Amino acid sequence: MTLFFQQLVNGIALGSIYGLVALGLTLVYGVLKIPNFAHGALYMVGAYITFVAAVVYGMGYIGAIAVAVIVLAGIGVALERVVFNPLRHAPRLHSMIAALGVLLFLEAGAQLAWGAEFRRLPSPFSGTVVLFGLPVATQRLLVIVAAVAVMIGLSLFLKRTTTGAAIEAMAQDRAGALLVGIDTRKIAMLTFAISAALAAFAAALVAPLNLISPTMGEAVNLKAFVIIILGGMGSIPGAVVGGYLLALVEVLGGTYISSSFSQLIAFAVLVVVLAFRPTGLFTRGV
Amino acid sequence: MRVPTTRILWLAALLAALAFPFLTDNLYFLSIVITAFITAIAVYGLNVLVGETGQLSLAHAGFFGIGAYTAGILAVRFDLSFWLALPTAVAVTAFLGFLVGMVALRTRGDYFAIFTLGVGVVITGILDLWEGVTGGTDGLIGVPPPTRIGPLTFESLEAQYYLYLFCLALTILAVRNLSRSLVGRTLLAIRNDEHLAEAIGINVGRTKRLSFTISTSLAGFAGALYAPFLGYLGPSVSGLVMMFNMLLYLMIGGAASLAGPLVGTLLLMAATQGLLAFEEYQLLILGPLLVLSIIFAPTGIAGLVNRIGQRLSDRKTKPGPSAAPSSPSPKNRARPSHAPPHAEAGN
Amino acid sequence: MISSHRLLALGLIVVTVGACSDEASEGTDADGTEVVNIGFSGPLSGGAAFYGQNVVNGLTMAIDELNQAGDIEVNEQAVRFELVTLDDRYLPNESATNVRRLLQQSRTPVIFVPHVGGILAVQPMSVRPPEFLLSAYSSDPRILEAANPLTLMIPPRYDGYFEPFVGATMEAYGNRLGVLPTNTSYGRAWAEGVTEEWRRQGGEVLGDHSVDYNTTTDFAGPVTQTLADAPDVILVGGPSQPTALIVHALRQQGYEGGFIVMDQAKFEEMEQIIPRTELEGSVGVYPLEAYTSVGTVGFVERFHEKFGRERLPTSEVALNYFGMHIVAQAMELAGTVADPQAIRGQLTEAARQLSEDRKPYEYDTVTKEGHLTGDVVTAFIQNGEYTAIPIPRRSGRGAPVE
Repeated sequence: MTLFFQQLVNGIALGSIYGLVALGLTLVYGVLKIPNFAHGALYMVGAYITFVAAVVYGMGYIGAIAVAVIVLAGIGVALERVVFNPLRHAPRLHSMIAALGVLLFLEAGAQLAWGAEFRRLPSPFSGTVVLFGLPVATQRLLVIVAAVAVMIGLSLFLKRTTTGAAIEAMAQDRAGALLVGIDTRKIAMLTFAISAALAAFAAALVAPLNLISPTMGEAVNLKAFVIIILGGMGSIPGAVVGGYLLALVEVLGGTYISSSFSQLIAFAVLVVVLAFRPTGLFTRGV
Repeated sequence: MRVPTTRILWLAALLAALAFPFLTDNLYFLSIVITAFITAIAVYGLNVLVGETGQLSLAHAGFFGIGAYTAGILAVRFDLSFWLALPTAVAVTAFLGFLVGMVALRTRGDYFAIFTLGVGVVITGILDLWEGVTGGTDGLIGVPPPTRIGPLTFESLEAQYYLYLFCLALTILAVRNLSRSLVGRTLLAIRNDEHLAEAIGINVGRTKRLSFTISTSLAGFAGALYAPFLGYLGPSVSGLVMMFNMLLYLMIGGAASLAGPLVGTLLLMAATQGLLAFEEYQLLILGPLLVLSIIFAPTGIAGLVNRIGQRLSDRKTKPGPSAAPSSPSPKNRARPSHAPPHAEAGN
Repeated sequence: MISSHRLLALGLIVVTVGACSDEASEGTDADGTEVVNIGFSGPLSGGAAFYGQNVVNGLTMAIDELNQAGDIEVNEQAVRFELVTLDDRYLPNESATNVRRLLQQSRTPVIFVPHVGGILAVQPMSVRPPEFLLSAYSSDPRILEAANPLTLMIPPRYDGYFEPFVGATMEAYGNRLGVLPTNTSYGRAWAEGVTEEWRRQGGEVLGDHSVDYNTTTDFAGPVTQTLADAPDVILVGGPSQPTALIVHALRQQGYEGGFIVMDQAKFEEMEQIIPRTELEGSVGVYPLEAYTSVGTVGFVERFHEKFGRERLPTSEVALNYFGMHIVAQAMELAGTVADPQAIRGQLTEAARQLSEDRKPYEYDTVTKEGHLTGDVVTAFIQNGEYTAIPIPRRSGRGAPVE
């Protein structure tokens, strides 16, 4: 039973990361209908920026996270302007191919800039705390708390503010949003900025638990796609619930079935769910 | 007037392809071109789906892998002749493709794309983990080259070249006839407007399943040719890198055109080999190149060449209003060049 | 179909141009020095790029030394080496294409491939004309089982480690073995060998929790599982850095036993990530910098001069450096730079004759199967110190034959 609870905590921590990454992906998909295959690369760049700020420039961990979030928001805006805005009337397949191009470029660029070797980001929260008799790494606890806070903050922003309402409106109907006087250009940039910032935040949180390398985003990227499909593409609560569900299935499936297959579980679940519910578990009620 | 030009050019291409081994004794060039031929067959299969029906399947490389492994395992573990392994591999892939299609085609648009992505990842995972049969991460070693048939042997790379060229020509002919047939027109109708197609009495579901099965069989066919050519198979033959490469060849070459997949595959393979010399810079160049080409030449090289050609012929026949672009050829009317294939959303 | 004819015309031009631009770079310098191209196909981008760069660094270092000394003469002709590197992203099919390209475009008599998939894929090509000597850098014994007459396998085979590793850790910590290696076939093969040996020596093998070290976002899950069985010794291993993280996670959850560390992971690289105290009770590859022989000390010094203090001279750098020097020596002895058979025939003699300062390891023999061997030493970390555990030479097959 201790094993079960320990794994539950591990699953929730992993789910927080998955949820944050998937949130950014689903936001861009919901508002701009772009399947952004470069999202995992943004996550990776976010981790490197945190690393550079913290280790090379000696800023504190928290300060470095802030820097990474701001820089990535900028990169997100640039991507929207340079790559995706010119493609807004093209078929979705074209945005996807362009995203692949961005992905290749960012991975190669990161290798050139920071080398192919693994990097390690030290965190001030490196200890262990005992929670209900279970030893839990402090960083893991931080991941959970920070992720939940950001998720709540984002949904409040979307529901309670005018800008948030404008984003929601554009998600439902781009042409309609334009008609009622919403600056869709600005909203598109803002959406990309938030999406990339979320990716950077997730990466900065997880980096001390793992290693930073140019390919660190690949696996997370694919899983984020699985999550937003399971949650219903474009659905914010769907992405959060989907993230936690997938992580728990992976961790517990790894525990009680076989760890070799745990990386495949995500995709097997996806195939089974879509076979029975072709539009995902939580289809957006438009 | 256009049909003969097209014929002549295809014929010239065929002649050039036939003469190629006599022009170079460079086995590296030969093997690159062979790889391009085999990959092009799979890309034609992808085109049946993406170009003709507007559905994006990301499981295509997975089926390529199934074909390759079926042929490879039959040859290595059961000593089956290539000429029996090849049709078996195609049949197995077609059958599995049919089964997957039954389920996958219940989803649409992006859901279909990601669903098939999942299928592709699972296929690669199975190839990787089912060690007893597939050889796991190490792969399947020692797939023999195509066995002799009658007086023909395929020991040398030149002989293999002609075999694969023949297979490619066969594929192109088949795809051409398919798109001209009633089935082809039905597919086109579905791509342009699924609901309208349904309304005029087309059995949309059945037609889509048929095209999915044809598409996967071509992937399996290409895979089954790839195994004896390479002599070695690893799970990466069905991996995401392979998948994205095929998609790029198709989109850069130009989807929904007959020459697009072949030219796209040849050109991009040559380009990647050329960029290899840049080592870690290669993707730094290829990435932006992709973005630029999808923004500025969304219909691929096919569309680009066509546009330039049209402009040139406009200039030549300026005074005559009949040659103006406002009156496109019958073929252009059937498939307007400014309407690229759609990966349409379901809603 | 809209544009088939125009597109085809373009295609024809491209193919024709491509067919005519057949250039191969080789020949002689202005001063009459013969240029010999040495090939390399390995990962230079993607997840294993760092590993590939290490191998390239070892080769570059040896080649620069050879060219600078300028004392390599083959058949009374001065020779200069040039390294031609191609990226295969760790994919065996790309290795095969690269090898064809190296042979055709650069006429390389020797090609280094540093991963087992690529090695097994190109081994059959080595004996078809144009032949080449395959310098295989991987510890997988299947490379030798292929009985390829033109292969030089550089590192010690990993199955030699099983018996001493199991013996040392079982005696020191107890007989319950946890299994948590990387989930590649290399990792699985290692795990199979170690668990078999563990049972043979009377130990108990617990659940297999192998997990993909490269794609797992958080190792906490499998680590918790492994510890739930209360193991005394745990088998870990994969790339050094993730392996170190796993060790760290295990210690963080309170594990106090020993480790068997697979040969892919290097202690010196792991120590860049975690303190040595967390590695207490581990057996694994002996760190190069802890050797005291003249050849090793000199090598380490020259390495730091060339690549800087912060880069580590790991065994993959040193062994490929070593391999390149042996090959060059064998060319000199064989009196040819172009005949792989003849070069292969002189490898044993070359390994014996190579001067001490070019030998980072005290390996002195190339066996009949084409394996570079010698006295292999491994390390057991006890009380924060590296203790040496010698690996016995394989009886019979490992003995010098040629």
